Amino acid sequence: MKIALAGNPNSGKTTLFNAITGRIERVGNWPGVTIEKKEGPVKKNLAGGKTNIVVVDLPGTYSMSPFTQEEDITRSFIKYEKPDVIINIVDATNLSRSLFFTTQLLELGIPVIVALNKSDLNRKKGTVINVQALSERLKCPVIETIATSGRNNGLKELISTALKIRGTKQEAPFVGKVANSNDKSEIEAVDRQRFEFVKSVVSEVEIKKHDDNRLSRQDAADRIIAHRWLGIPIFAVVMWGVFSISQAYLGPFLADIFVGWIDAFHAWVEGILGEGVSPVLRSILLDGIIGGVGAVVGFLPLIMVLFFLLALLEDCGYMARVAVVMDRFLKKVGLSGKSIIPIIIGTGCAVPGVMATRTIKNDRQRRTTAMLTPFMPCGAKLPVIALFSGVFFNDSPWVGTLMYFVAVALIIAGALIIVRITGERNAKTYFIMELPEYRFPSLKRAAISMLSRGKAFIIRAGTIILLCNVVVNLMQSFDWSLHVVEEGAENTSILASIASPFAVLLIPLGFGAWQLAAAAITGFIAKENVVGTLAVVYSITNFIDTEEFELVGGATNVAGVMGLTSVAALAYLMFNLFTTPCFAAIGAMRAEMENKKWFWGGIAFQLCIGYTVAFITYQFGTLFTTGAFGTAFLPGLAVVIIMMSVIAYFAGKGEQKAAVKATLRA
Amino acid sequence: MNGTVSLKTIMPTKKRMGRYDGGTVNLTNAQANREYIIKDIKTDDLELKGFLFTLGCYEGEKVTLLSVLGDNYIITIKDAKYSIDRNLAEAILVSRSF
Repeated sequence: MKIALAGNPNSGKTTLFNAITGRIERVGNWPGVTIEKKEGPVKKNLAGGKTNIVVVDLPGTYSMSPFTQEEDITRSFIKYEKPDVIINIVDATNLSRSLFFTTQLLELGIPVIVALNKSDLNRKKGTVINVQALSERLKCPVIETIATSGRNNGLKELISTALKIRGTKQEAPFVGKVANSNDKSEIEAVDRQRFEFVKSVVSEVEIKKHDDNRLSRQDAADRIIAHRWLGIPIFAVVMWGVFSISQAYLGPFLADIFVGWIDAFHAWVEGILGEGVSPVLRSILLDGIIGGVGAVVGFLPLIMVLFFLLALLEDCGYMARVAVVMDRFLKKVGLSGKSIIPIIIGTGCAVPGVMATRTIKNDRQRRTTAMLTPFMPCGAKLPVIALFSGVFFNDSPWVGTLMYFVAVALIIAGALIIVRITGERNAKTYFIMELPEYRFPSLKRAAISMLSRGKAFIIRAGTIILLCNVVVNLMQSFDWSLHVVEEGAENTSILASIASPFAVLLIPLGFGAWQLAAAAITGFIAKENVVGTLAVVYSITNFIDTEEFELVGGATNVAGVMGLTSVAALAYLMFNLFTTPCFAAIGAMRAEMENKKWFWGGIAFQLCIGYTVAFITYQFGTLFTTGAFGTAFLPGLAVVIIMMSVIAYFAGKGEQKAAVKATLRA
Repeated sequence: MNGTVSLKTIMPTKKRMGRYDGGTVNLTNAQANREYIIKDIKTDDLELKGFLFTLGCYEGEKVTLLSVLGDNYIITIKDAKYSIDRNLAEAILVSRSF
């Protein structure tokens, strides 16, 4: 048996879904969090002994005629996959809008239950809804629910009612008969009548007592938080708080403790192995698995703290306001205010970030955002940043901060270039965003979100990153004739011979060593791999010193082993952060762009940006520090000039297109 | 010119009429915290028009402008609050409700 959850955006479908199934899907207090359908079995204690009850969570929509892409998922599912029962989640605080969609669902013949959610908020506001009367008027059961509450939340009744009405034929209280479905004006006339019907229902069942104080408090908060000028410093302070807590204070403190355990484990395994074990196996176990994976997992606390804070931010209603504040600026560079949400989510992980672009209606804005979101340093890039700022920059907080600023600058510059390439610089766009009510963020929800994402991080470290490290370790230990590589002859290993050709390309960027090239390449599989691979190829067991409570111990040693100047190290860091993202993010980009030209163009663009940024950082940084350009300046300059000319050529073509459009309009 | 009063000073301009006399203006000229009736959505973008319709933003419905924050107009339609940009606010034509 299949139950579909459908309703307006931000009515609490996923919260209800999580409560019914015990799952921990992402929730947030803004419209458009859910962008995919998700399935899960009903929890045993709610199912009443029945098995095989599957609940499907659907993206929110205002009607059966979709506007953005994720809304189309909902319409298609309900229309073509025919669930047995539809639970229509209705935001009880906004009956007059929500019931429009309800009446459309009631016409399908599938039995519908209305879950009157957020009924606790209504009680606070003093609004009373006559549930009995509503149920009679809609000709379907209506059950009050509080999805955010653990007890007395109406869920049991909801599921038992669903079981009861399964297989019945839903009677429609309002039938919107359209003779010719292509006739726009006829459809509109019917929808008008539909709204009239909804109005008559609401006027009969709802008694409102407007608590003006409460509303005006919310509006007053908006006047400050979404203020045209004040909003920007507020946003800056909030994000600075998130990053400094996770990366400069609480995160590193916890990481120190955590790494002590990993160290102890490393020593323990080393002790057990003793001297009798083959050196290759020993190297795989200690350097490859524990060293490589441990180097990555050591940064887990930083990432968990970041995820926790981001979850709080998503829960309180602030995200929608940031979109409003930023719209003015992002519009100027050809993006939408909504682009800021994928970018913020992208600081956790680029994959959900890129997927969140689905809520942007305009194709160009959506694709551009999907292309640029991966520039944001994500959780997986944090270990890379922390490693380099520790080894080469004495743990200076400015390195991490600078990376976020560079990311923002690249996003802006990238957007400016892309809007010119597309030739839509003068296109008129509209922005509309529903503003959800502010609420106090739930620590429990944030903790759950943090744990589930932390778990995903550990699973990645234990699977894909572990595998990569073992492979890197093997490729480094053997040469092509499968002999163990002698000490001092590392350049003959399989890994060295594969990575060396790539390393040549990186010489103008200041890091032409095959080890660094190999680490950058494994970074495309997952960015944490950069740290893991470096740990493996340079046999560094641990980057974090537990004795001195420093993020990276023996920094000068590590720096010496890598043989990089500080400038080259910064260039290498930037190359890894600002080039094409990991394969998972690339896959998400392809899915959201839905266009081959955009997709391949995007990848090429990201590669060019990564290369150019590293080139500029290394060459000009070296010029400033030593008075002369670094190695291979001219060949690198030639490559950069060629890439820039190609981009400029396309931008010129786009500008022509824009000019033609402008004259056509005039 | 002496002694004659130009027609302009007697006749309220179109914009003024909108503000004070209940004529049709777009939302950017509306006064805050006052209920208006939507007269028309002026856009060629039929999808956008359809979307606004599902929010209850169409001819004959009520809309209140809560505040203007730079280029953003905070409005309420039915019981929901939205932020819209100037382009959209200019497309929504309203008149005072009495």
